[in-house]
Amino acid sequence: MDRTRRIKDILWLLTFFGIVAMVFRFYYGLGATTNLTDNLPWGVWKILNMVAGAALATSGFTVGFMVYVLKLEKYRPLLKPVVLVAFLGYGSSLFALLFDIGLPYRFWHPFVMWNEHSFLFEVFWCVSFYFLVTFLELTPTVLERFGLKKVQHFLHKLSPGIVIFGITLSSMHHTSLGSLFLVTPQRLHPLWYSPRIPLLFILSAIGGGLLMFIAIKMFYDYLQCSRKPGYTCSSVNGNPIKKSDSDQKEDFLRLRGLATIAAWVLGIYLCIKIIDLFWTGAFSSLFSWTWESFLYLSELLFATMLPIFLLIHPRTRKTQSGLAVAAVSGAFGLALNRLNVGIFGYFRDAGAIYFPSLAEWAISLGVISMAGLAFFFLAENFSIFDERWKTRHSQPLQLSIGFDKLSMVWKSVLLSGVDRVSLMAIFIIPIAWWTMYPPFQPDSSLPIHPPKALDAERHVLLIDGNQDGVATTFAHFEHQERLGGKESCVKCHHLTVPGDHATPCSRCHIYMSEETNIFDHTYHLKAVAKAEELTGIHPENNSCNSCHAPDVARSGTTAKNCLQCHDEDMHPVDAPEERLALMTATGYMHAMHKNCINCHREKAEEVQNNELGDCITCHRKQPGSIKFPTLLAKNHLHLN
Amino acid sequence: MKAILFDVTRCTGCERCVNACIESKGFDPIRAEHDRYTIKDGLSANRVSSIVEVSSDHFARKACMHCLEPSCVSACLVGGLTKTAKGPVVYDSSKCIGCRYCMLACPFTIPRYEWDEPIPFVQKCDMCYDRIKDGLKPACVEACPNDVMLFGEREELLAHAHQLVKENPHQYIDHVWGELEFDGTSVLYVTDVELSKLDFPFADTPSIPSQTNFL
Repeated sequence: MDRTRRIKDILWLLTFFGIVAMVFRFYYGLGATTNLTDNLPWGVWKILNMVAGAALATSGFTVGFMVYVLKLEKYRPLLKPVVLVAFLGYGSSLFALLFDIGLPYRFWHPFVMWNEHSFLFEVFWCVSFYFLVTFLELTPTVLERFGLKKVQHFLHKLSPGIVIFGITLSSMHHTSLGSLFLVTPQRLHPLWYSPRIPLLFILSAIGGGLLMFIAIKMFYDYLQCSRKPGYTCSSVNGNPIKKSDSDQKEDFLRLRGLATIAAWVLGIYLCIKIIDLFWTGAFSSLFSWTWESFLYLSELLFATMLPIFLLIHPRTRKTQSGLAVAAVSGAFGLALNRLNVGIFGYFRDAGAIYFPSLAEWAISLGVISMAGLAFFFLAENFSIFDERWKTRHSQPLQLSIGFDKLSMVWKSVLLSGVDRVSLMAIFIIPIAWWTMYPPFQPDSSLPIHPPKALDAERHVLLIDGNQDGVATTFAHFEHQERLGGKESCVKCHHLTVPGDHATPCSRCHIYMSEETNIFDHTYHLKAVAKAEELTGIHPENNSCNSCHAPDVARSGTTAKNCLQCHDEDMHPVDAPEERLALMTATGYMHAMHKNCINCHREKAEEVQNNELGDCITCHRKQPGSIKFPTLLAKNHLHLN
Repeated sequence: MKAILFDVTRCTGCERCVNACIESKGFDPIRAEHDRYTIKDGLSANRVSSIVEVSSDHFARKACMHCLEPSCVSACLVGGLTKTAKGPVVYDSSKCIGCRYCMLACPFTIPRYEWDEPIPFVQKCDMCYDRIKDGLKPACVEACPNDVMLFGEREELLAHAHQLVKENPHQYIDHVWGELEFDGTSVLYVTDVELSKLDFPFADTPSIPSQTNFL
């Protein structure tokens, strides 16, 4: 009971974080809330929630197949829990996708607009219909409580048909979820790219999905039952339900049966995966010991080797803990495999790393938490794992008040879910808002890669004045026009000073009376006071004379020159590296272009020779280089 | 079927084609300039073509290759991308749901997403489809001061490219990029350096749809 509440508290916390992130996602867009990029366009919502989520919810179709097709009646009691897991798994996956796709209000487009060549089209259809199937399979259980016998019977009659339909859909979309990645032979890492991804995906989904279900079932039992001998399970309001030892044992044997099947499937999967490694020739890259090979090996270890070992070894296969570890490890390994194929495998080709932003985690985990809460709600109120809801209403809701001896205060425990959850919401939502509000996020300074091409006709320059990698746009043409057209070049560009690239912006934008001022006087007061270790209640008030000359009216003209303090920051470097030269406005090059090009074009028209105005006239490929004008151009200038 | 032939040996990297593209598409030049610096290959939703340095002092245009069997067209689940009879691969924003599978599927990583918009779409070069329909050349081809790009029927350009390569063996590598790669593209390159920076595969690589078409 208490364990369940603690888990639910965590789920509610994540849910509230998720809800806040969902608001931000729709209001600010994908760019502000996610770390997705053009090179790595698929992130945690698609891969973790959809691809891994669908795989982990596979038990719905495998157990259905065992009971309805193979007639293994032993597993019939597991049908309802399995359907619940499938329903919530697929429901939450589809829900998370609504946040991932750019235009969620068009989610119905694939139903109307068809492209049957697309793997994603197949996935979309199969997954949405399979979700419908799990919904129909779950309805009779829910209707049972409301006593709608007729509808229930009708659905019961239909259910074998529905289940078969669901099995077909499942096997189709599990293979096509793998096929999604077939289109990227150039981009996906060779360890994971294989023409047999669809087969690998469905096998691992069957095995890992069963283990995931075992993990869920065991965790649910752990939450409900105390571990004392006799396994007393408490119901929602403390009304004990006793399970006999033989029941417990049967339960365990049933789960172990599933686990054995999973181990067999995973064994086959492991064999195919290793053979496939030779087949695709990726075996050498496994032992190149890059981080990919470690991920690959840990995936194999967790998804296959560890569970198989635990389920084969005579000691561990008979214990609850052995089964639990095998189940958790298998589920984790399966999720890791999907993340490897969908996310990590693309890093090397993209030359970049993707780590989900806080909002991405919040929505991803928030959606899973919502599914978790729905799981508890459905499990507690309907006959899914047990029939505890029948005894629930005999117990009135109560508020227990007790005296805490340690803190010497009366404490009241909020038992009513609504109170507790509202209280949590009041505290959590502002925190979530504050941590994830996109305008509060620190400005990630974009790395500036100086472009290598020339762009002789640039309208706008990107200037990184203090060379810290953060640049501002500078409207070059506008400045030129305002300052008096082509004659004004000399105001900023110093063609005769070697290494002097351009006038700093502050040379002009320093008048504090004007809007264009970039000199922060208030900041300087404090910075100067701190640097000169001035004293006083407000040391900054004593800092005037540090810059302004005493006994004269204080103004910009009577103050120190910027360079007197900022010699290192602002003074043009003597021999600029090529990188820095390209990052700041390379005034010299552009001024040179202006010097030559205009005249060349005029002459070209005069003598009717178009080549004269072309870039290639001066920037010859051979023998010189085009980055720097050839000697020809220099001599030509001198001749003029 | 129309195509563009790009001669890497003639390009000086003046980027006038890119500026013309930005102007003709109506992109914001300030945002485009920003992306020119901050994105490695200079391609973004505000800048659908760019000039990349494929080798020291050798420049090539990077934009949609308009494959003959495009991976993006087969990937799009709503059929929002189509290979037109005239050659260009065009994007229909009224169908797009924003799944970004085309971006994952493209072997050249060309489609770019409007990440900053609340209602985002994909942006990619469409070989100025509207201009082609009116019988004009694409904006980039028209703007080039150095006749680096030729625009015309793909068959004719291929013949011209082979002739060029044959007649000047000291100037070009004996290969026309885009003739066979991925079963052919509508943007062809002749060059004197390797074009691995444009993500071209080996010449005998079949198109991605034909590699995966066993449905």
